[in-house]
Amino acid sequence: MKNYTLNGLIGGFLIAALLVTAAIGLFWTPYDPMKLSFTARLAAPSAAHWLGTDEFGRDVTSRLMIGARASVWIGFLTVAFAAVCGTLIGLVSGYARGWVDAVIMAVNNALLAFPGILLALGLLAVFGANQYGIIFALGIAYTPSMARVVRGAVLSLREREFIEASKVMGNGEIYTMARHILPNCLAPITVLSTSMFGWAILSESALSFLGLGVPPPAPTWGNMLAAGRPFIEQAIWLGLFPGLCIALTLLGINLLGDALRDKLDPRMRGLK
Amino acid sequence: MTKESLLSVRGLSLQVAHRGVEVVRDVSFDIEAGEIFGIVGESGSGKTLATRALISLLPPAIRVTGGTVTYKGRDVLAMSNNALRQLRGAEIGVVFQEPMTSLNPSMTIGRQLEEGLILHTKISGDERRSRILDMLARVGIGDPQGALAAYPHEFSGGMRQRIMLASVMLLKPALLIADEPTTALDAVIQRDVMELMVELTRAEGTAVLLISHDLPMVARYTSRIVVMEKGAIVEQGTTKQLLEAPQHPYTKKLLSSLPFRGEVRAIDLSAAPMVSARDIVVDYAGRKSLMKKGAPKRALHGVSIDIREGEVVALVGGSGSGKTTLGRTIAGLVHQSEGQILFQGRERDADWRDYRLNCQMVFQDPYSSLDPRMTIAALVEEALRLVPGIDGAAKKKRALETLEEVGLGADYALRYPHELSGGQRQRVAIARAIARRPKFLIADEPVSALDVTVRAQVLDLFSDLQKRYGFSCLFISHDLGVVEQIADRVVVMQDGRIIEEGDRNTIFDSPKEAYTRRLLSAIPALDQNEQGGVKLKWRLEN
Repeated sequence: MKNYTLNGLIGGFLIAALLVTAAIGLFWTPYDPMKLSFTARLAAPSAAHWLGTDEFGRDVTSRLMIGARASVWIGFLTVAFAAVCGTLIGLVSGYARGWVDAVIMAVNNALLAFPGILLALGLLAVFGANQYGIIFALGIAYTPSMARVVRGAVLSLREREFIEASKVMGNGEIYTMARHILPNCLAPITVLSTSMFGWAILSESALSFLGLGVPPPAPTWGNMLAAGRPFIEQAIWLGLFPGLCIALTLLGINLLGDALRDKLDPRMRGLK
Repeated sequence: MTKESLLSVRGLSLQVAHRGVEVVRDVSFDIEAGEIFGIVGESGSGKTLATRALISLLPPAIRVTGGTVTYKGRDVLAMSNNALRQLRGAEIGVVFQEPMTSLNPSMTIGRQLEEGLILHTKISGDERRSRILDMLARVGIGDPQGALAAYPHEFSGGMRQRIMLASVMLLKPALLIADEPTTALDAVIQRDVMELMVELTRAEGTAVLLISHDLPMVARYTSRIVVMEKGAIVEQGTTKQLLEAPQHPYTKKLLSSLPFRGEVRAIDLSAAPMVSARDIVVDYAGRKSLMKKGAPKRALHGVSIDIREGEVVALVGGSGSGKTTLGRTIAGLVHQSEGQILFQGRERDADWRDYRLNCQMVFQDPYSSLDPRMTIAALVEEALRLVPGIDGAAKKKRALETLEEVGLGADYALRYPHELSGGQRQRVAIARAIARRPKFLIADEPVSALDVTVRAQVLDLFSDLQKRYGFSCLFISHDLGVVEQIADRVVVMQDGRIIEEGDRNTIFDSPKEAYTRRLLSAIPALDQNEQGGVKLKWRLEN
């Protein structure tokens, strides 16, 4: 039996690299990411500045390392928020059925009808444009999709005989939900969470790009990408490296997510 | 003999292409024109794959590695796709097992039946229509005209299988391949469909290749049988010879796995019943439409049943008879709208906890009744979660002991359900149900999803455990053979009512109701002889 797939290894490596970079960025960066230097404006990648400098002469490597932290943190908290809320709502809705389900799903569908980014924009206007505002706004925007997916899984699971078997054993509803239904929903939750992690980083970039994200001068990959746009002809590295970071992170997360799902499911063990 | 054979198979071998596992090995047989020929085997015996090869309809992963299939002197395996299309349907028709999926749900019956005629004949539209109407009437569709515009979901499983049969027989094929044609149907309908198939094919002179795991059913209609095991033919011969003087140990095993009548046990009929259901009425809510609720559908019309201590009561009936609903109502999974359920003389709901501890259930489908994310040991241990007075270590020990009792040793404890076979899973389900030492067990079709030999083993296990622990049991089944082996008393249901009840021998030997007789006509009475064979006697319907 092969324990690891190549895809899982690549994904794991990319995510590990991201986490390590973000962690190192907490204590050490090659330069002070905020320090302006007018002598080294728009410098191309070199031995001194590995990934070049931006229009204010700040070191891109250092800023990407700090930005990684913001991106990971925002992505992680957003997904955690959406996963927890969405799963709870989906479980209750799918298990209770009846009017509870009807009400929850009506609200949910109304929220789903809004484009996620529009909903997040509206919420950001309420929470204010900062890191936690973004987390809340994106978390709320993603919750309906998670609720929907979990509800679908619960609806099909609750008709299975092992749920009836649990009732016949005298187990309470909360126990049955936690012990039998939730674990069997983990596969769709994991898959959706990993894609959401990617969406969250992307949306954060988009919001920052629109100027509604984490306010400058604090770097995130998104606002770095946005800031690099006017200089794309003179200094392509300003846009290229943040973009590459986002792309590689998404790739890593998707690969790792698939591998995790297979690993978490006992039915997939022992195959191949 | 080879000259006049309609279809002749010689040394057919099939392999799973990428793994090289041989799934069918050196299979040879001949089918003569107009005869009914049977292939019997359990799941995994290769019977379905072997017959798929006859019309070159193998799944992509399966490769033919040897042998020939000759139909009317032509080599089927060497035919072009074009020639195969001419062959399938027009010359060789196929009826599949699952009537729910073998008709296209988004096409009307009329168009589906017409498809084959358009493809294979040159007759005019009017003539097609009249042939279709004629055929639908022959297969017993009440309103052929109306059926043309109807969709498959408007028909029951039995009716769909009749329509399927009509669509195949419209083209008057020379050979009909029927792969488990009635396995998904209940006993009475199964018999009607089989009789119809035999009648139609006999009238058209069509030969039938009947494939099934159900040896008595195949034996009833065929003149010759081959028995397959693990991809190879182990025995073939005339039906009579095979049944009465089987040569191969596997055939003998199959025959001895058939359910035989169990012993008569003394049950104290004067004792107060363990479980007693009085005048149970169950209504299912009607279908909701936009404006109003539809009328509720009554599933049970005031049904009463008693189960005494240590007694196995079988609840039998066709699908839709309400037997499962009654079982689920007594289990507390469905709420009755009227009526009363007593446990040990007291209102069941008065001490719900006590009832829950003492009433357990075994479900039909071992593939969905076990949580796929729990190990076998955890599944059985969970049944002990709410049992008062035993601590964690004792629970663990009891779970392992119970697994041992159902024949699954310690090395199974940490496996997951998907690693087990159907029979093993059902053993786990039984272990889970008896781990609490319940006084009352409800078993809803516990063996109907299992293969013949596995079914016999699980039934034996079940009887042993019942004798050891003496629990009362409500055994729900549509298979009267199984009931004959295991039940002390039989209750027959039809359309939500109990129509007949009595001790097993009375019901089986002198049934009063016509419906009971119809149920019984679907299963043979078996006489075992010294050579390990059996003689089948069919109870006649009058």
